[in-house]
Amino acid sequence: MSTEGQDAARLAELRQKFGREPLPPREGEAEQSPRDAQPRFRGLESGHRACQGCGEALAARLVMECAGPDVMIANATGCLEVFTTAWPQSAWRVPWVHSLFENAAAVASGMEAAMKAKGRNTKVLAFGGDGGTYDIGFQALSGMLERYHNVLYVCFDNEAYMNTGIQRSSSTPHAATTTTSPAGKERMGKRHLKKDLLSIIAAHHIPFAASASVAYAADLQRKVRYAMGVDGPTFLVVHSPCPLGWRHASAMTIEVARRAVECGLFPLVEIERGAVTNVMPIRDVRPVTDYLSLQGRFAHLMKDADSRAAEERAHLQALADYNIEVFGLRGDSPDAADTTGTAVVGRSGRPAGRI
Amino acid sequence: MTVLTRGAYAGPGTSLDFKTGNWRSTEKPAHIHAKAPCHAACPAGEDQQAWFAKLQEGHAEDAWRELVSANPLPAITGRVCPHPCETACNRVAVEGALAIHNVERWLGDEAMRRNWAYPVTEPAEDAPDVAIVGAGPGGVSAAYHCLRHGLRATLYETAPEAGGLLRSAIPRTRLPRETIDAELARVLGLPGITLHTRARLGRDVTIDELKRKHAAVLLAPGCQEGKEWSVDGAVPADLHEGLHLLKEFMDHGAVPEAKNVIVHGGGNTAMDLCRIMKRSGAETVTLITASVLPGPDADPSDVINVVPRELEEALEEGVEVIEHATINRLIMKGSQVCGAEIQSLRKLPGQDGRSRRVGFEGTERVINVDMVIPCIGERVDPEGLNGLVDHGYLRPSDRFGRLAEERVLALGDARGDRGTVADAIGDGRLAVSAVAAQLAGESDPPADARGEMPSGGLNLGYYEGISRAVAPKLAVADRTFDKEIEGDIGRAAVMAEAERCMACGNCLACDNCWTFCPDNAVIKTEELAVDGSHYLFDMDFCKGCGICAHECPTGFIQMLPEEAGG
Amino acid sequence: MLEALEGSQAIARAVALCRPDVVAAYPITPQTHIVEALSRLVAQGDMKTEFVSVESEFSAASVVLGAAAAGTRAYTATASQGVLLMAEVLFNIAGLRVPLVMTVANRAVSAPLSIWNDHSDSMAVRDSGWIQLHCADNQEAVDTTIQAFRITQETELPVMVCMDGFVLTHTFEPIDLPTQDAIDGWLPPLEFSRKLDPGDPKSLGTLVSPDFFAEVRHSHHAAMTKALSVIGEVDEAWSALTGRSCGGLLEVSGDPAARIGILAMGSTCGTIQTGMEHAAGEVGSARLIKLRAFRPFPADALRAACEGLDHLIVIDRAISPGLGGVVGTEVAATLADVPGAPRIHNHALGLGGRDIPETIYADLMATVTDPDSPAFSVFDADMEKLDPEDR
Repeated sequence: MSTEGQDAARLAELRQKFGREPLPPREGEAEQSPRDAQPRFRGLESGHRACQGCGEALAARLVMECAGPDVMIANATGCLEVFTTAWPQSAWRVPWVHSLFENAAAVASGMEAAMKAKGRNTKVLAFGGDGGTYDIGFQALSGMLERYHNVLYVCFDNEAYMNTGIQRSSSTPHAATTTTSPAGKERMGKRHLKKDLLSIIAAHHIPFAASASVAYAADLQRKVRYAMGVDGPTFLVVHSPCPLGWRHASAMTIEVARRAVECGLFPLVEIERGAVTNVMPIRDVRPVTDYLSLQGRFAHLMKDADSRAAEERAHLQALADYNIEVFGLRGDSPDAADTTGTAVVGRSGRPAGRI
Repeated sequence: MTVLTRGAYAGPGTSLDFKTGNWRSTEKPAHIHAKAPCHAACPAGEDQQAWFAKLQEGHAEDAWRELVSANPLPAITGRVCPHPCETACNRVAVEGALAIHNVERWLGDEAMRRNWAYPVTEPAEDAPDVAIVGAGPGGVSAAYHCLRHGLRATLYETAPEAGGLLRSAIPRTRLPRETIDAELARVLGLPGITLHTRARLGRDVTIDELKRKHAAVLLAPGCQEGKEWSVDGAVPADLHEGLHLLKEFMDHGAVPEAKNVIVHGGGNTAMDLCRIMKRSGAETVTLITASVLPGPDADPSDVINVVPRELEEALEEGVEVIEHATINRLIMKGSQVCGAEIQSLRKLPGQDGRSRRVGFEGTERVINVDMVIPCIGERVDPEGLNGLVDHGYLRPSDRFGRLAEERVLALGDARGDRGTVADAIGDGRLAVSAVAAQLAGESDPPADARGEMPSGGLNLGYYEGISRAVAPKLAVADRTFDKEIEGDIGRAAVMAEAERCMACGNCLACDNCWTFCPDNAVIKTEELAVDGSHYLFDMDFCKGCGICAHECPTGFIQMLPEEAGG
Repeated sequence: MLEALEGSQAIARAVALCRPDVVAAYPITPQTHIVEALSRLVAQGDMKTEFVSVESEFSAASVVLGAAAAGTRAYTATASQGVLLMAEVLFNIAGLRVPLVMTVANRAVSAPLSIWNDHSDSMAVRDSGWIQLHCADNQEAVDTTIQAFRITQETELPVMVCMDGFVLTHTFEPIDLPTQDAIDGWLPPLEFSRKLDPGDPKSLGTLVSPDFFAEVRHSHHAAMTKALSVIGEVDEAWSALTGRSCGGLLEVSGDPAARIGILAMGSTCGTIQTGMEHAAGEVGSARLIKLRAFRPFPADALRAACEGLDHLIVIDRAISPGLGGVVGTEVAATLADVPGAPRIHNHALGLGGRDIPETIYADLMATVTDPDSPAFSVFDADMEKLDPEDR
């Protein structure tokens, strides 16, 4: 008899002795659908009205999966709020409140104070777009961080006011066109730089502030899990492409986000107590044009005949190079989890190269 | 009537009432199970991708079982096959093809070490019995596939033992005797297979007799006769035809002495003889081939058809190659050859569009030789074949090998257009599938019409650079006539190599589609879905953005026009 | 037991008695003493509450919104510019129908800068959907504050308790503070049915299409109308506990037979009362109407209170430039369809902290008989102080 046979026989014996028949569905309870049986928490459910290929919807879903059910959310006005909660429907499966554009951090502060007063551990999250975070909600966010509320603030950064139809924000990258920073004879898109929000947040000396990208889901979720475990204010900015606003094909959302990281324009860094503690090094650095050329908002930079275009391309390349140098992003670590290789896949979701 | 809630609050997950599936305009995602290029290229019909998948799951025995569902002789093919699978491998676009043959060899050896059981059962006592003439790799494969179809098999072999050209034409440095003996014994020992040795067709048995006694007759006699070779009428008295010389060497372990040797041809026999002559002490051994050595500018259809590593080793050992050339005439001193005139040629398209080789005037040169070995191929010995041989070969009318005579099929080298062990093994499998279908009153098994997944259909960003496993090899100085040159890469390297498989066109179960769907419209299932994946598209909510298709590493998800079925 | 307390201290003590879970506030004159007093109570451990020192009134309102949505009892206080900075959140709080109590220490609104009292701030958010209750003195402010917590729980409408800045907040009065036990027994625990709860996750603050927006607003108006009776009932219940009433929606005093009435909100009521006590002999007595509930507006009670009057003087502590007095206009509208309704004399008084002397009573009474008296005036404005072009 082979050892396998012995194992099988022993297993059968144990099942006979200790095994239980699976319980039938309880009365009145429908059999579980495949959707209900998903091995992850569906904090953000289907049926929301985000555009095709929405990076923000994806980012929020990824955050919710690892934030789990014992949370409550304060959501700033913006696409995410609008497309998830068209009354009488809601795509959320957690307690969720939308108040205003600029007060998500303050509402979250109040919710957290309430949980503290009640002696509960329910973690409070605040969600905002770049408009609600970099710009109009910045003061409330700063106050929340300073008061050290136990809140994870997630900024879904799609680099413009998308909900109102693509107007520039302080997060819009240099030279990108929006409806309020169009390109023309006198202008090459946005004149100013993307605000370095993460450094400002980090200057609050909070326990954890990090940037993440929808293209690196495992990395993003690791950061969320880490932040969930911190008792204090934490901040995450998630690069979330907007196919409509950035003018790229809806299927290219992840590709665009990936290239933003790979060219150095959107560095993935972790900052604890003001100090950079981790970065995601880039294995093979791409030229910024690989990133720009996929997007209509940079189309005016791709005109070879225009010398200003070449200058702006060079400027953006210099900005990417600056990030790579300042954060030390060039890396060739063999550890897949430590580099852009974190996106590597393997059979059954397991990263390749490790058994 | 919907009634307003106080403050207009909404219940959890109620958005499921809002079916966003009707937002899709032109395209929808679908699982398209394309052929991996290794599978498409394999003459034996192996699905390498499928057995690499089992290895990736850590199940070596399952991988071997998957492998032997097509090819019962992996220890042998892992050593001798020119592995077109590796040539086709999409991993070339990352950092080099998978070392498929090394892994195949390890699985074959491991199966013998651990005595893994072939996934077949003994056919019923009264099951139809198929006669197979020739117990070379094709015949053995056919016998084995008979068992898989519930048929019995009886092999008739002229030689005293099974193996055919594995024994007669492949040097031990490539294929040790022990491997042949062990692997063949395991297959031939399976209940349901009977082997008659020293049974020569035409002398001991006849096709008519076999047809009477058996459900079908499969002819796998191989090619035993050297083709006539002459150069402008000059034939040296001591002409050594390649295959016969090789057989001689295999039987006696020695070859005639020579100083300067020319081998004419472009196959594995030519390559083996070059190396044997060199190792026997010839000062120069030159291969004259009309083909070209592999290289970036080489036309794939013109590349010399040998196992790539054999060529590499031959060059290491000092064999010289004159490519794109032929022998115009021999220069004789009496009946002995003393020189050969070589001329450059190229394969060029002619007026009728078909390629032919054109010699170039003015490129003739003479080299001094004292031995010329033609290796230009062999043909079928027509004895006992009832006149089925047509211009040197058995030429079947279909891919299953059917010949003009009812219930008689041909397979392997005898078909004339084959040339590798893997071809013969694949022929055996196909021929038996047709016989089995016919016996069951069914029509022929359909050909696999699936498309092949090109590297452009993959998302290579998801594959990490892992360098190819390097097999240990005897140093040139240590190479003898007996010792196997290429070694075993070992279990660890096999498992690491498995991780390099990109699962082209097949679901990797990597979760990317499930992870990246912004609309939660990909449902993961515990059970294997009918299409071989663990995922379902919830078309009630899929908006058709196409992210899943773009981010599918293997090309298994593709966007199809909305009106298409499936 | 009576204690001599500054108005702000008294409010802080009253709030503490209601055991709010979360207090958030940003300092602004003349509300400062309230939050300072609350901070001290928290610092000394006399009050168990999460005190959130925010960086703006906008966040103060947002924090208490969040706390209330999460199902806890929350409180804030502000004044003047603070009310205006909160404005967007105040509308939002009301629309979400979360229970909240806020004290407004009424103060003028800049520019020009004035730290002194009038009602411009709370008038500016008149239409936000909050209940607005005005307090005539500090005892009433204490009692109304405690009542407000019960009103907001019963109605799920936020309550703004308005008290005149400085005049009340910085004035010492003898105050009777109920005992903690009495309040614990009188004010039931907060059970907010729509609270944010992982066990029953609801989404608050949705997007509502035109198909339902009218219904949202109607239901809010209906809730405010129903709150009229709740305000009265709670005051009665309070009276049963303490023996004191704040007058429900409005309180009528003075000479019931008088043909002239004077209507005011807040501390002005006391000034008029005293003025009348001194000058009634010379200029006659009046019926005094103290309007406590400005929102919801007690139309029926007002009509009843005005029965038999020939003249009604309405004092506004704010001005709607280009229209006149807000209270006066609303009172006139309320009485417009009443047969034999009194003639309305609407005067803005005491803007930006201008002192209202007791003698104002006689001056106001004189306008009734003056045929040239305008329907509206900034009564205490001295034209001599203005360039003729600006008069």
